[in-house]
Amino acid sequence: MTLTPDMSAGPARARRTGAARQQVLRRATPYLLVLPLLAFIATFTYLPIAMSVNLSFREWDFLSPDKPFVGFENYRLLLTSHQFWNSLQVTAVFALVSVPLRLVLALAIASYLVRETLPARVLRGALFLPAVTSTVAIGVVFSWVFATDQGLVNGLFQLLGLPKVTWMQDPQLALWVLILVNTWKQLGYDIIIYIAGLQAVPGELYDAASVDGGRRFHVFRRVTVPLVMPTTYFLLVISVIDAFQVFTIVDVMTRGGPAGATDMLVNMLYRVGFTLFDIGTGSALAVLLFILLITLAVVKARVIGRKVHYDS
Amino acid sequence: MTRDRMLTLGALAAGLLFLSPVLYSIWMSFQTANAYYTGTLDFTLRNYAVSIGDYGFARYLMNSIIVSGLVTIAGLAMATMAAFAFARWTFRGGNLLFAAVVATLMIPSHITLIPNYLTLARVGLLDTYAGLILPAISNGFAAFFLRQYIRGIPRALDEAAYMDGATPLQVLWRVIVPVARPAILSMGLFIFISEWNNYIWPLVAVSDQDLYTLQIGLARLYKLNPGEGSIDWPLVMAASTLTILPVLLGFLLVERHLVRGITMGAVK
Repeated sequence: MTLTPDMSAGPARARRTGAARQQVLRRATPYLLVLPLLAFIATFTYLPIAMSVNLSFREWDFLSPDKPFVGFENYRLLLTSHQFWNSLQVTAVFALVSVPLRLVLALAIASYLVRETLPARVLRGALFLPAVTSTVAIGVVFSWVFATDQGLVNGLFQLLGLPKVTWMQDPQLALWVLILVNTWKQLGYDIIIYIAGLQAVPGELYDAASVDGGRRFHVFRRVTVPLVMPTTYFLLVISVIDAFQVFTIVDVMTRGGPAGATDMLVNMLYRVGFTLFDIGTGSALAVLLFILLITLAVVKARVIGRKVHYDS
Repeated sequence: MTRDRMLTLGALAAGLLFLSPVLYSIWMSFQTANAYYTGTLDFTLRNYAVSIGDYGFARYLMNSIIVSGLVTIAGLAMATMAAFAFARWTFRGGNLLFAAVVATLMIPSHITLIPNYLTLARVGLLDTYAGLILPAISNGFAAFFLRQYIRGIPRALDEAAYMDGATPLQVLWRVIVPVARPAILSMGLFIFISEWNNYIWPLVAVSDQDLYTLQIGLARLYKLNPGEGSIDWPLVMAASTLTILPVLLGFLLVERHLVRGITMGAVK
């Protein structure tokens, strides 16, 4: 960065001290500019990580004056509890089903909506709307859609002469309802990102493929899918992190029930930390979730990283 | 009817079908509970009067506007200043500090939940606006995005201003901010919507009903009334519509090129 010193200052000496002061200020400028952001990040993101690790080795109920050090006791309790493994399994199923579902549907729909025509834009707008809509409101609306009595789906079932289904009270079904609602909400975001990725693919590649007599699905598989691999990787990272942090939709629709069938890791974290006030165990759970997501990020980078950059 | 017109109508129908649960919930909010349960039609604004009057949704709406508005303004200011520094200066530690900002994108936010609660409890900021706002302000994504954008702005513009004796803050405010306006506005929209829809932090940080945001108010109203069959769905849907509507209206305003496209098609 070249800065032009102020040449209009008065007498020589004043100019020199003024220039010296300006020199200091000039050096300090970038630090002063980043200071507010970094101060907030340090206080509300990095310091809390250290605090969580520290608290996870202690026993504390938020009220008592001392927080005795208990070593790995909180981790041992968690790792031997049924609740933790249940939550981990439920969250993993949620992620393993909803992430591929989102990506496959989004890419298929995006490849139809990629053109800048009026119908494509109308549909894109409609599909994107849930992504910016309040999750709580969506949870409330879909609680009505899947309500046993007076619900939309059971109402339609009744018209067709089918029996009522207890969608959200059945441990076999509740998780699938949540996956469906979450997919409905997030799909539009994935589509918009895929469309941006598809629009970056040069049109000649499609022309060449169709000149070669490629059928539509063949072109899709051989040309489109490999070329949007970087986009897929981006969405995969985002949606896996999303899936392991799902909370709001579950808290509103099922509160983890019935019988723990939809008890995600963050729902368990909230319950342990803020209704049982078991700060130590809650922190241990937060640390485990943190380690899990960082590991996933590293593994994905290893596995998929090669495929993403194969063309460069 | 032309093929284009039919495709457009088809797309519109598919979009409406996709959104039908939400659209029907809005329709339902204008019905009396009695009419809803008996399957008749009886329009009323009573559900809105009750949710705004008896259940405090006017207050929640104001709280949401205050919290999301202040988070957006403060968040944008900090992100833009930092982005300007990272884009325009090479300084000792700069790369490390930038990495620290970008790394926050990978950190699952829930690890900060219990510690931030404890920190704010210690300084007595639970159940205050400040407690809702402060932990939400720093936004690594906005800083990263704006830094990329500012790097694309020609340095000659900055240098011309420095020649005229401008200070860095004046260059930021008079040169960078006007040029980067589209990026700053879209980041502002992004921050506002995420904060508007934020649920877990207000749930943790606030127990005083006067400080509820719309999300907390709506969830509480729905949960107060959990008995299947006895639930007043039209009232719940009025509250839900109040929660959705501001973002929906904003979205329609911003997506005006969508509307322009529709009118252009109509003219053709």
